[in-house]
Amino acid sequence: MIRIVAGFFVLMVMISAGTVYSLKETTERLEARRQQLSAQILIDRSAIKVLRAEMAYLSQPKRLQKLSQRFLALSPTRPYQMASSVTAIAGRDGVQRASLPVDEFPVLLPQKKPRFEKKKFEGAIIRASFPVARKQPTQKTKDKKAGFYERISLKLETEK
Amino acid sequence: MRSADLHIEGAKSAAIEVARNRLIVPVFLFVLGFSVLAVRLVSISMFEDISDRITQVGSDKVEIVRDRADILDRNGIILATNLSAPSLAVRPRLITDPLEVARKIIAVLPELNRTRVLNKLKSSRHFLYLKRNLSPKQVWKINALGEPGLILEDAEKRVYPQGRLASHVLGYVDVDNRPQAGVEKFFNDHLSNPERSNDPLYLSLDLRVQYIMREELNRAMEKFSAKGAAGIVMDVNTGEVLAMTSLPDFDANESIHPDAPEMKNRNILEPYEMGSGFKSFTIAMALDSGAVKLKDGFDATEPLKVGGRTIHDDHAKRRVLTVPEIFTFSSNIGASLIIREVGIERQKIYLERFGLFDKPNIELTGLSWPILPRHWGEIQSMTVSYGHGIAVTPLHLVSGIAAVVNGGRLIPATLVSHDHDQSQDAYDGAGVQIISSDTSRKMRDLMRLAVDYGSGANARVAGYRVGGKTGTAEKVVDGHYSRTDKITSFVGIFPMDNPKYVVFAMLDEPHGTEDTLYKATGGWIAAPVVGKVIRRIGPMLGVVPEAGIEERFQDLILIGNKRY
Repeated sequence: MIRIVAGFFVLMVMISAGTVYSLKETTERLEARRQQLSAQILIDRSAIKVLRAEMAYLSQPKRLQKLSQRFLALSPTRPYQMASSVTAIAGRDGVQRASLPVDEFPVLLPQKKPRFEKKKFEGAIIRASFPVARKQPTQKTKDKKAGFYERISLKLETEK
Repeated sequence: MRSADLHIEGAKSAAIEVARNRLIVPVFLFVLGFSVLAVRLVSISMFEDISDRITQVGSDKVEIVRDRADILDRNGIILATNLSAPSLAVRPRLITDPLEVARKIIAVLPELNRTRVLNKLKSSRHFLYLKRNLSPKQVWKINALGEPGLILEDAEKRVYPQGRLASHVLGYVDVDNRPQAGVEKFFNDHLSNPERSNDPLYLSLDLRVQYIMREELNRAMEKFSAKGAAGIVMDVNTGEVLAMTSLPDFDANESIHPDAPEMKNRNILEPYEMGSGFKSFTIAMALDSGAVKLKDGFDATEPLKVGGRTIHDDHAKRRVLTVPEIFTFSSNIGASLIIREVGIERQKIYLERFGLFDKPNIELTGLSWPILPRHWGEIQSMTVSYGHGIAVTPLHLVSGIAAVVNGGRLIPATLVSHDHDQSQDAYDGAGVQIISSDTSRKMRDLMRLAVDYGSGANARVAGYRVGGKTGTAEKVVDGHYSRTDKITSFVGIFPMDNPKYVVFAMLDEPHGTEDTLYKATGGWIAAPVVGKVIRRIGPMLGVVPEAGIEERFQDLILIGNKRY
């Protein structure tokens, strides 16, 4: 009985010794890897510092101005291009705004529900597919006796 | 397990029983101790966080200690940083073929003198420096040479990527990275603290505004062949300085001569007689103390004779002027008469409140005291009322004017960005109330008039309501006022309805050109600079232009509310 127990314990000791050894080995390997990595991080950090300094150097306002004047079709913002808010550019009073709760981009609301008014659009150039009476085609009067100037002006008028 | 195979009897048996009983106690203690250890082991390995601090102790030795923290502008653009810039050294005894090595070194570093390099390589000494501060590319090339006698020594160099742009604010460091001037010196405790080396210093400067200010000043300086120039852009409500330029300036990356004229920051170091800009203070104190009302008239028909001296007007109107007219047409006589109403004592008290008797308040070293009249009599009081006989630095004037227009609070100027400062709450409601907000509102209207009808017309900007005051003062040369050498300045504020920024420009000894009708006054020289700067920085800083109709006057007499 005692032999079995002793054998069991000897086996346990051997197994645990082996485990401890392999754990230690792994730890040392990881430690070496860690040191290598932190050294690499330091090198990379100093490289990033150099790059950041270079970026600051390359983005000097003077240089950027020169480049943008040469390559971009943009010019500095003028005061008149600024507006305090969306409502300011609406050009009318009593503007209401709406925006979705998720974003901060307000949209102007129309003053009232858009309603088609026939009279208002009569004779106007129609872009929308409203059911409007077609514009009466003007009669082309061909007057051969008319002079050059009259013909030109007539043509311009009909084309309008 | 049973131990009953042996049987002992008698007295021995009793003794063994006792021993066994006694053994139970240590066994119990051991079991207790080991179970405590086991429980602790399990709890540590399973339930406690792994602390990085403890595990990384060993690796801290590898960390390179950076000497100085970075300096950034308010948008995070690098103004000053530390880069590793190794020095190239040589151990001559390890060099076998000096001629060949010298040729290779010259190929990499063409600025070195070949003979000197050769002498050093052949020298009998142990260790010699060839060159300091190599760039990363040069380091790589030197390493690629593979010469065992060449040594690269680690060293750090302070680099200012923006060159001359903010050099007077930043200051500079010497060869050993010791700060010598500017923010570098003032904030040295922070910048040189190794524990805060990853905690950059955010300045209130806006690099774009700084560039615009420098460019416009530089252009004006060349155009009017001036000796020097200075400019400040300051937030009137927080005191943050967005731009501070002094020309001529220097490049802190190059070698520095501390006594050279370009080293001095005119904004804080040099007191100037500011001229008419002081009338803003005079009229503010007159209105605030109640000594004078806006509608009061003062007789400016003839030059004023006081104590053997005569006070003239530059733009004489030869009639009775009201207070707004005195300010707008910049009447010296009027200002002198107003200060007579205020009185010398009250004038002193108010000037002190405006901070004009003290050093300017900003995070820079080498601040200059103002130069005050030694004896403060009636004539001195009168000349001070229009800015002569008292010399203050531009920063004094800018801080004072900011207090005049921002509702009457004197806020100390600062170079540190409030956005990035942890102690931000301390700034809320800061500033001492020195004049009433009602006086401040009146002064804003007066300054707007001075630009619209007075000498500051060249500072007008379409879209923004700019207000301000010109200043022209004769320089003191050898104890006398010079007739030709002048200090011209303009201090502008915009937008006038709700002031945000004060923009100041000053030119030292400008000369008029054909464009300015050969005049060298603040209105012709400095005001256009301020106008151009405002035109460019206004949209950049997000100042919304005001579209509105203003009343029109002719000679400050209302002519109607016509739309135009």
